[in-house]
Amino acid sequence: MAFAQHQTSRRAGLPQMLLRLTRGAMLIVGIYLILYAFYAYQQPKALTFSSFGSLMNNTAPLALAAAGQALVVISRGFDLSVAGVISICNVTLAVYAMDGPGGALLSALLCIAIGVTVGAVNGVLVAVLRLQSIAATLATMIICQGIALVILKAPGGSVANWIADEMTGRLWKTIPVSGLVVAFVVVVWLMIRRSRYGLSLYAIGADEQSAALSGINTRRVRFVTFVLAGAIYGLAGFMLSAQTATGNPTSGTPLLMLSFAAVALGGTSLSGGKGGVFASIMGAAVLMLLQKVLFSFGIASFYTGMFQGVALICAVVFSGLLTRLGEAK
Amino acid sequence: MTQKQDPQTLAQQGDTRGSAKLSRDTISAATVAVLCVLLLLSARLVSPALGSWNQVETVLVLGFFLVVLSYGQGLVILSGGLDLSLPATITLGGILATSWVGATDPGAWYLLPVVLAVCGLVGLVSGIGIVWLRVPPFIMTMAMSIIVASALLGYTDGTPRGSAPDAAVWLMKSTFAGMPTPVSVLIGFVVVGWLFQSRSIWGRYLYAIGTNLDAACIAGVPVVAMQILPYVISAICAGFVGIALVGYSSGATLRMGDDYLLPSIASVVIGGSSILGGRGTNLGTVGGAILLTTLGTIISALGMEFGLRTVIEGSIVLFALLLLREELFQKLRTVWR
Amino acid sequence: MKANILKGLVASTALVATGLVGLTAAHAQDGEKFKIYLSLSYSGNAWQSEAANIVKALAATPPYDTQVELIENISGTDPQAQISAYESMIDDGADAIISFPISSTALNRTIRRGCDEGVLFFMYDGTVTEDCAYNVSFLSAGFGENTAQALVNELGGKGKIFLSRGVPGNSVDQRHTDGAMSVFNKYPGIEIVAEYYSFWDDRTTQQETAKALAAHPQVDGVWAQAGEFGVIQALLDANRPLVPMTGENSAGFRRALADPEMQAKGLRGVSSGSGPAQSGYAFKLAMEILTGQRELEPQNIEYPLPWVPAADVKICEGDSYTDGCNVFPESKVPSSFVSEVLNPVLLPEINVESALNGTPVPGATIQPLPADAVVTANNEPGINCDPCEAAPDMYKLTKVEATVQP
Repeated sequence: MAFAQHQTSRRAGLPQMLLRLTRGAMLIVGIYLILYAFYAYQQPKALTFSSFGSLMNNTAPLALAAAGQALVVISRGFDLSVAGVISICNVTLAVYAMDGPGGALLSALLCIAIGVTVGAVNGVLVAVLRLQSIAATLATMIICQGIALVILKAPGGSVANWIADEMTGRLWKTIPVSGLVVAFVVVVWLMIRRSRYGLSLYAIGADEQSAALSGINTRRVRFVTFVLAGAIYGLAGFMLSAQTATGNPTSGTPLLMLSFAAVALGGTSLSGGKGGVFASIMGAAVLMLLQKVLFSFGIASFYTGMFQGVALICAVVFSGLLTRLGEAK
Repeated sequence: MTQKQDPQTLAQQGDTRGSAKLSRDTISAATVAVLCVLLLLSARLVSPALGSWNQVETVLVLGFFLVVLSYGQGLVILSGGLDLSLPATITLGGILATSWVGATDPGAWYLLPVVLAVCGLVGLVSGIGIVWLRVPPFIMTMAMSIIVASALLGYTDGTPRGSAPDAAVWLMKSTFAGMPTPVSVLIGFVVVGWLFQSRSIWGRYLYAIGTNLDAACIAGVPVVAMQILPYVISAICAGFVGIALVGYSSGATLRMGDDYLLPSIASVVIGGSSILGGRGTNLGTVGGAILLTTLGTIISALGMEFGLRTVIEGSIVLFALLLLREELFQKLRTVWR
Repeated sequence: MKANILKGLVASTALVATGLVGLTAAHAQDGEKFKIYLSLSYSGNAWQSEAANIVKALAATPPYDTQVELIENISGTDPQAQISAYESMIDDGADAIISFPISSTALNRTIRRGCDEGVLFFMYDGTVTEDCAYNVSFLSAGFGENTAQALVNELGGKGKIFLSRGVPGNSVDQRHTDGAMSVFNKYPGIEIVAEYYSFWDDRTTQQETAKALAAHPQVDGVWAQAGEFGVIQALLDANRPLVPMTGENSAGFRRALADPEMQAKGLRGVSSGSGPAQSGYAFKLAMEILTGQRELEPQNIEYPLPWVPAADVKICEGDSYTDGCNVFPESKVPSSFVSEVLNPVLLPEINVESALNGTPVPGATIQPLPADAVVTANNEPGINCDPCEAAPDMYKLTKVEATVQP
């Protein structure tokens, strides 16, 4: 079904692109806006550029991690190696700091290269050797975490100042750079989503057998998916390093479960074939905003988890209901 | 994870299951067992004290928790789900065992089952959410885990009180039938677990549901009950592990379950089960759990820095996965034929 | 399309509303009170909750009860979450933030921003390298080297030992271990046969020690960080004699040190290490600065290293450490209770109930800190300052002298 939907209108103008972007992400964008209204009501400073900027800085690493995860999930897979890639990138940037704009570019490329390498290993294990993705990436995650600890034994080192300052700053005091990085990934996604690869991605997620029968090289698509996801995790590691400005060999671990939560919140089905990268990014944004909202409402910190858990279940139930309503029509 | 499958995939899976289920499962369990023995023997190279009967006992006692836990996880995965709420449920069992029962409460004989029932309730809620509200298992159990953990944090004010029930200490610290009690109990547990999963009608229902929900429904399997049941069993197993952990280390902490989630999934998968459900045996899972524990014991004896140890551990897991790969078995079968 | 938008909005409003209904905004905007945030990185072990409880107890003790609005926040083990929490606190107009920092470096940027807006930052136990924050910590007091020397003395300079370390990739663990190795490396007779990570947790320590014992049955001593009680249990489980060991301040360990039965089995050693009392000390310092009773520039402040050799362990009859007693009996606190939570000199106004429940002692009032309470800590690069020079005598022994020569 998803496959058919995406075959309509391959070429589109900007307005249509925007429409397509929000389709399926409507619910999560709505939640985000309303939560933000609550937050701004409680904490008027939330409407300043600096507050929004720092919120974006907080969100960017998880948003990117969720974006990569979403790709793998759409293809009906799981990628636990996200935690390992981010950790390796982070310690690498802290140990081999390269200053200046050129250094930053090199660093970003280095991170992406790390992600691509790990993604390629995952790709070979899953697509060629046919291991179950959750198991194969569990192994690569453990190995990556070990490598991160070998590169840097204890938290320390410092990320190049240029990266730490500029990547968390705001252009003309308004537009957060971290937001632009995320936007860049969204734009790339919009371009490839219509491509042959994008359509195949949804097809193998929905039904690998019939995708193969219809002539899609499922091995290659799976491989490319893991590589792309790895590259985005690399960017996530880069942005995380910019924000914390220091190295920590276990820095990726907290993002592991959160990345799945973000993907699910965004309405991407964990059984593959449905959903999108933008919705997952918004899912991540809601998760980070939720922290702020709960904080501004002064909820007893012991019970914060309860609200997060209930919110997660509600969001998924609601988006499921909506999907079913839509299908019934 | 998925609950809908294409008929074609299904037909294929049905085929392999029919003709070669036994041989594949036997090979898989045997491979894991051989790997364990090889690891233990090669451990002698690391330290002469390793590979002795003493070390086998240590591994079995330490492996007790993982075996019990991954049995529950295995059932859930078999039915096509996944249980991420294990860490919180373990902690729930442990905290309730110390705070409700305590060291010498004469009511332990009925309070401990009540503790297990409360844990089972957590599984019941997860199961209901998954079946009736159609929340994906991954999200439902993750959310339950967050909720239970935060409820426990509030309930204990951050400081778990009380001490381990005598029964739990007896379970972990005494000897029974010439072996440490946990080893004897473990053997009993595995036998009962095997009877349930491989020899009972319910076990067969679970295989059917994991392979194809719709077909199972048509065939008259009570799908709702049978989808919820694994979560309840898994939660009770986790609660039992919580009580056992309290007996082992004489106290509960709020993070006592955290280290067990990924290993529980890993032992199921290493044991040859499919993460998508419908395939796998509990003997394989037990082997997977023992293999992981053995590996941990040996790795910690290597005088290396932690990062390298982690790399080696991950590589061996990967190696085991590659060795137990589906295609390998198919090739082996064709050779035998 | 329009219908879809509408549906989405309705659904999401409903969702958010169900989540937020029933919550009252807990913002007592009382202009008179100082707004102080207590930011824990994680909760769930005895150490963290005791540290939080005594701050809560102090804030409820007169006259602080009318001067302070204390708000607690737990952000988890993720540095990013703590960054986000700090930002919210700064935006919310905090006067001071008392915090256990999850990272010594990742929070610096946010702390600098807060300092610029006039927020006081007091870190306890853990430290940050940002120099506009006050670090109140025992880290520079030499836990590692002093306990290592005590162990070497007990062993007569030779023997096979285990190192039971903390959390891998943690700077505190690294500092302790570096200090210990500065001593062990001097003694060729000391052989480290196993080194494992126990995550500062009793149960993990017990399991890791059991594994190590399977590989190395012959062990003469154990140098442990927090979680030390697990070492004793693992040795008992394996039917081994107990050995000289050093560890931190759990009630279980201290009671074992004083237990004649355990001593007969061979247990000797020292209880030292990190105490939750640091949080109370940091809080009182912050209050004295806010209320103008004390002038103090941001700096590294050393919390004295607790040091209780087996011979000095004394079990308390009452609710506080009077007459030199230093551990509570099993009827009062579980074995995981961290004993160094009370301090008769710095925190005379609280007792064991405060540590367990966060309740103030009836009738107690806040006593001012002694005028000479503040001891400046040594520079420790990467731990409490960066960039900076390490003191040349960084690993100098302060609590114990070498009684055996290499």
